[in-house]
Amino acid sequence: MDLLTTSVATVESDSEPYTLVELTGEADVTNSDALREVLDTEVAKQPRTMIIDLSGLRFMDSSALHVILRANRVMDRQGGVLALASPREPVAKMLRLTAADQLIPVYPSVSEATAG
Amino acid sequence: MAESPATSGPVRHVGFFYRTAKEYATTVAAFLGDGVAAGEPAFAALPAGQLGRVADALGADARRVEFADMTELGRNPGRIIPRVQAFIDLHGGQHVRYVGEPIWASRSRAELQEATRHEALVNLAFAGADAEILCPYDSTRLGQAVIAEARQTHPLLLSGGDEGTSPEYSGPFGLPSSCTAPLPAWPDTAMIHTYRSDLSQVRALVLKSAREAGLPDERAGDLVLAVSEVAANTLRHTPSPGTLVIWHDSHEIVCEIHDDGVITDPLAGRRRPAPAALGGHGLWLVHQVCDLVELRSDNTGTTVRMHMAIRSRRPLS
Repeated sequence: MDLLTTSVATVESDSEPYTLVELTGEADVTNSDALREVLDTEVAKQPRTMIIDLSGLRFMDSSALHVILRANRVMDRQGGVLALASPREPVAKMLRLTAADQLIPVYPSVSEATAG
Repeated sequence: MAESPATSGPVRHVGFFYRTAKEYATTVAAFLGDGVAAGEPAFAALPAGQLGRVADALGADARRVEFADMTELGRNPGRIIPRVQAFIDLHGGQHVRYVGEPIWASRSRAELQEATRHEALVNLAFAGADAEILCPYDSTRLGQAVIAEARQTHPLLLSGGDEGTSPEYSGPFGLPSSCTAPLPAWPDTAMIHTYRSDLSQVRALVLKSAREAGLPDERAGDLVLAVSEVAANTLRHTPSPGTLVIWHDSHEIVCEIHDDGVITDPLAGRRRPAPAALGGHGLWLVHQVCDLVELRSDNTGTTVRMHMAIRSRRPLS
């Protein structure tokens, strides 16, 4: 079984469709290249909104964080918005300690992220 | 108290050897009070027991000084430099005063060594800063060796009311010998694990050991993050396996990572990366979550020893 699995969907919503990326497992230096490929592919489609659902993520290291920060940079440049949803406590703490949560909005749930 | 003109220029880093509580309070309060009178931002990070003493001596001026409990801020001395840097940045362009007392008699061998390393690194980290830094040392209770090393880490010394240069000062890149001496051997009960790319297994071993040692869940998670970040560096920077060693006693759990990598930046992990930076977060995170981090690196490899206290801290004397 892979340490990290990703699933991507385009979700129709009341306002406009958004890209939802779900991460499950553990995201670290051993799979950050694969994560980068997934995010690069989705960001290249220039969605208005991309939400990364972290609820299934047990662990995230700084390599994975850098991949997400890089995606955020490109989304910003494209005029889109990247948001993170429902990180578990170890991941949420890491986002706080690195102040990444001041750069990328973090919501308690996907539905709140879409409302935000 | 020596005069302290508010001229801009290189940092003034003064080791202050005090003998009595009165001398301590009077001198530290005068140093801070002079700054307040000159409209300079002032910051004091002292052990909790000393804060009240200095605040009392300052009187109304205490309201204009920022205080921090050094037993929290400096529990891991690796966190002090970025905190002081943040204070300097907050008051960008102004001459600032800082009193920092990271060394007290009841600290462990490893803590004293790392606090001494911090004192040495202050000279490097703040070389260009427009700041005056006063570091009190309890000369009646600290060991001779600690005081001798303070003479090496401070270009200026204040003792018995006289300020002068320290003949033993070893320069901005100098480190006292205790900071580079080999780390003590681990106990026979230590668990040793060799890893190459299976970091998930490394994390599982750390989590299991942390729980068995009695670390609460949040701090167990912190230790898992720290060890994983250091082990990730083995994969990033070396072609060979790394070694994880774990042991604990009733006071603390210790995880050590050794690999063939070399860390040449003495301030690695002691600068806060910009939030958007795409690197430099690893060792920063390690210092933020661990109670103490010991690091040795030379051409033969790098050893990082991460400590987490299990029970509440030893009481301060």
